[in-house]
Amino acid sequence: MSERYYSDSPKVDFDSAPEMAPYLAQPDAMYIGCPGKHGYLNLGFELDADGKSVMRELNRRAPLIVQQELYFDESMPEMPCVYILSSGGPNVDGDRYVQNFTVHKDAFAHISTGAATKLAEMKRNYSGMTQKIVLEEGAYLEYLPEPVIPCRHTRFICDTEITVHPTASMVYSEVYMGGRKYYRDGELFEFDILSVTTRGQRPDGRQLFREKFIIDPQRGGLRLTGVMDCFDIFANVVVVTPPDKAAEIYAAVEPFIDRDKGLAAGITHLPNEAGLLYKVLGKETGPVKALVREFASKVRQAVKGRPIPPEFPWR
Amino acid sequence: MDTIMHLLQFTDSTFPVGTFSFSNGLETAAYEGVVRDARTLEEYTRAVALQAAFSDGVAALLSHRATLADDYDAIVRADRQIMLFKMNDEARMMLQRMGKKLAELAARLFPGNGLIGRWLSDIESGETPGSYPVAQGIVFALAGLDEEQLYASHQYGVVNMVLSAALRCVRVSHYDTQESLFRLSAEVPALYERARSMTFEDMNSFVPEMDIMASLHEKGNMRMFMN
Repeated sequence: MSERYYSDSPKVDFDSAPEMAPYLAQPDAMYIGCPGKHGYLNLGFELDADGKSVMRELNRRAPLIVQQELYFDESMPEMPCVYILSSGGPNVDGDRYVQNFTVHKDAFAHISTGAATKLAEMKRNYSGMTQKIVLEEGAYLEYLPEPVIPCRHTRFICDTEITVHPTASMVYSEVYMGGRKYYRDGELFEFDILSVTTRGQRPDGRQLFREKFIIDPQRGGLRLTGVMDCFDIFANVVVVTPPDKAAEIYAAVEPFIDRDKGLAAGITHLPNEAGLLYKVLGKETGPVKALVREFASKVRQAVKGRPIPPEFPWR
Repeated sequence: MDTIMHLLQFTDSTFPVGTFSFSNGLETAAYEGVVRDARTLEEYTRAVALQAAFSDGVAALLSHRATLADDYDAIVRADRQIMLFKMNDEARMMLQRMGKKLAELAARLFPGNGLIGRWLSDIESGETPGSYPVAQGIVFALAGLDEEQLYASHQYGVVNMVLSAALRCVRVSHYDTQESLFRLSAEVPALYERARSMTFEDMNSFVPEMDIMASLHEKGNMRMFMN
């Protein structure tokens, strides 16, 4: 059925990933990658003739939507801010998405989503996404989307490739909730699988790091001490930045585990002096998001010399 | 029988690769009260075993196969890939220290062996990181041990490292740790069945609480163990 991809559709195919092997049937509803189930979003930021950072490229297909850049950041009013929306509601069975972001030389941008990404219940297939992020010389990107909420029998796989110039920086957060914790009697860790790969490389192709985690609650072991233990939410924040900035951020972060508050966070160095990795565990979304934002603010402070303003009260 | 004798020697906790210096985050987990008794110790050790099973264990298997196929480039590839996958300094240090000790030891056990000679000089010149699981793959292949034996020995080493460290920092007895070791050993064949078909792309690990322990250890001042 995959021949029915539109000719301009970028290919998103995780069928060869062994962890997705049980989930390769054609959905009973609309087929894999049909219009509306195969969105792409290409965003490019660059400095214009006056040195202003602007979104020069916007190329998208439903259900992924970006309207235009806004300049609403109070501490960096010169920074273009973009929210990704989806007209399709949650990601469903057979969805295939592509997101490509390029930040050209010395440009900077902030990308988030308008709301949490909901991953619907799936029956036959999976939802897959590839992301390619390119950061040219001196570029800076904040990519801080709202949390991901999987449902019962969700299957989601994502591959993110980051190509980073040694002078560029990015902070990229992913917040994964265990499920719809307060839905009916609670729906925690009832999804089938989340498979997440994040790879970093230099423009010349030299590999920097590769992180892959597979969360498959049906196999058991998720509640083990050392894995999720008593926590329900997991945040992973990748920072690529030059070593001097990394050292400054690392020094400013205090890892901790507070079992009474149900919150823990840790920071480590990525291999090959590529940057940092910050992880947070929590029981509720609010405190986890707050820690991630506080951390991202330290990154902006080190790279741009200014903090991230407090989150809008409605977010 | 001679291969079994080699297997026993390479798996013995007194095999001098420095296992006793590392706790895989257990020291911090015990201090923070995350690991506090025999039950939480066994869970934590199971998490460590799972983490190793689909990363280091896979690298060891790929290195073993590359050694048997006389494909030196594939050995180096396995070595670089496992280091790309290690997300904290102390874990990278552990892999490289133990790996170098094993390579040096192998030079004595297999005198004049060209592969070991090349491996050691490439570690010294920084050509390859020289990680422990990849060194294990080479040594087991040279000793005529098969990949199931390698995988069993690798997983045993990981589990036994944590349980031995536990005797020094958790309130548990030798009886507790031996019971855990016995149960965790029984889980290894199922892990091997999954790991045996994995490639670099498939290597994965999900132990966020352990990762946070590692970070606390790295920034803290507990130093009975090196991680």
